[in-house]
Amino acid sequence: MAEIRDIKSGRTGEPPPQPMPRRLAAIVAGDISGYSRLMQIDEEGTHNRVKRIERDLIEPTIVEHHGKLVKTTGDGFIAIFDSPVEAVRCSIVIQQNLVGRNAALPKHHWIEYRIGINLGDVIIETDDVYGDGVNIATRLEGIADPGQVYISGGIYEQIKHKVVCGYESLGDRKVKNITDPVRVYRVLPDPAAFQRSRRRREHILIFLLSFTLLVIAGGLFWYTYWQPRGKGWDQASAPVSSPAELPKAPLLPAPVVKQTAPQSQSAPTGAPAQQQAAPQSQLPPAAKQEAPLPQSASPAAPVAPPTTQLASSVREPAMIPLRAGSFAMGSNEEITEKPVHQITIKPFAIGKFPVSVREWNECAAAKGCAFVAAGKDDAPVTNVSWTDAKQYVAWLAEAARKPYRLPTEAEWEYAARGGTQTKYWWGDQFQSGMANCKNCSDIAATEQPIKVGSFKPNPFGLYDMGGGVDQWVEDCWHKNYQGAPTDGSAWVESRCASHVIRSGSWRNDARYVRPSNRDSYDTDVRYPTHGFRVALSP
Amino acid sequence: MKFIRLIALSLALTCLSFVAHAQGKPAPKDALLYFVWPQNGTTIKGGFWCRFGLRNMGVTHAGDHFANSGHHHLLIDVNEPLNPNEPIAQDKSHLHFGAGQTEARIELPPGKHTLQLVLGDAEHYPFNPPVVSDKITVNIK
Repeated sequence: MAEIRDIKSGRTGEPPPQPMPRRLAAIVAGDISGYSRLMQIDEEGTHNRVKRIERDLIEPTIVEHHGKLVKTTGDGFIAIFDSPVEAVRCSIVIQQNLVGRNAALPKHHWIEYRIGINLGDVIIETDDVYGDGVNIATRLEGIADPGQVYISGGIYEQIKHKVVCGYESLGDRKVKNITDPVRVYRVLPDPAAFQRSRRRREHILIFLLSFTLLVIAGGLFWYTYWQPRGKGWDQASAPVSSPAELPKAPLLPAPVVKQTAPQSQSAPTGAPAQQQAAPQSQLPPAAKQEAPLPQSASPAAPVAPPTTQLASSVREPAMIPLRAGSFAMGSNEEITEKPVHQITIKPFAIGKFPVSVREWNECAAAKGCAFVAAGKDDAPVTNVSWTDAKQYVAWLAEAARKPYRLPTEAEWEYAARGGTQTKYWWGDQFQSGMANCKNCSDIAATEQPIKVGSFKPNPFGLYDMGGGVDQWVEDCWHKNYQGAPTDGSAWVESRCASHVIRSGSWRNDARYVRPSNRDSYDTDVRYPTHGFRVALSP
Repeated sequence: MKFIRLIALSLALTCLSFVAHAQGKPAPKDALLYFVWPQNGTTIKGGFWCRFGLRNMGVTHAGDHFANSGHHHLLIDVNEPLNPNEPIAQDKSHLHFGAGQTEARIELPPGKHTLQLVLGDAEHYPFNPPVVSDKITVNIK
């Protein structure tokens, strides 16, 4: 750095510059991909965002890594570094930060930089650099994909053992107006990504191979196990459900079922619908089991057994129906809970308990949910993301043929308050032993999460509405209730990055047990205290 | 030969992912977690974009078990020591960035606040040794 200043002062001091001030430097060239398209969409907005990125991100990051920003153009920048290692690190930081910035925006508004880095002997002037080295850096940037960092062989040689990254060789590339081809490497900030990109082909092969094996095995299994039983499909239909339910089997014998009558005539149409749910279950035996069902159902006329079969195959969570009502949602305790606003709620039913491990695993066994939950059967299911919870309710709605869904945030608070307007459902003072929260009871951490319904129910007869597990609701996260709907519906936009969690967990203190307390979490991320309960429209 | 090596590698890696996940994944010694912005002692008016810097490790989505990578957690006004044997807490003072975010819009009430970054592994446990940033203080006007 000091050297640069010397050169500058030398130049301004004596006008006739005799030897060109040359030096070896790592040149970083970046530009925004699709800049003119972005300008077309929103000229001022794009300009402001780009300026802000330059001011808040690019300039400080370069300084942070001991570099110097030489110049910015409308849609790009050029910087020089003494150290190639710092140049690459700086570029990675810039790219990773941009990912975060873009995450909240729709794709066509993304500002994505392409970055090229080259090591070269260049001529440095006050506000520009010249030379082959710079041209190569801009060419590398030109061939880079948006969001990527491409480096030349020279840089690679300097950093390969110093920056923990993956490097993918793209071979020698001929670039415009440069005589010799340039060796190009793509930087993969996440080293595993390197192996991923190399292994992709092998993975596909292995996947195809194992899939074929699975199909063959499935076919064999079906042939040996099901074939001998012959045509007695009404016999066979009893075992159809039992393999799935065997693990947690102390349930009522399959044919014992409550409300068969009204559904009996819907049986023929119902069976194909069930089949539509099946595609998720790529497992060959399962698919084959279901296939014969409609055949047998239609000749056998609307007999009860097949219908009861379908209805009994799913364990529905215990539900409590709630009447329509209105209540003041929110509180003045936290800014996220303001403003307090009046909500009217239509009648609906809500799960008496959070969804349990046993209930979840039925969905997992039916291939409707992505993973098998660990833990005791009667403990609440945890480590589920919002997306996982949505999969469960979609599966349950399909299997039970009832409009199961997640509760809306307003419904959740209405249910949690149990008709009260106090700070907690039992009053304004906290009482220990009323909820499963941190330092609120004497349950050992190792026993957590304890079984659902271990504490007193609220006035609506609902358990664990506050404490226990955090519970996902349908709504997207909004930092307060400014602009929230008042009809009890969910407040959603398409593809929101985070959703609302309610209730607080056994790892949160008493403040989190309040029915008005709310928090947010990333939609697709699982966390060990996050669960949910279901709701049902009438 | 190369192909066989690749298959061996991929098999090894596949097996690796089945090994039960233990707490405290190892972190490289030179991993450095820091605030790109704000710097210690900064006075800020209103909300701000807090930006997370990480060197010698990668940022990834929570749940991804790639070596040498994790996701950010921002601790606001937290004084309790970090427990390496528990997942990093999730509450109003422990913000999670499990989608791989490297910056966040932060709004804090006026006054002095401390900020600290902690890198968490796929299961939200701190690394071993913990990858944490310096605890900085910002002044919100």
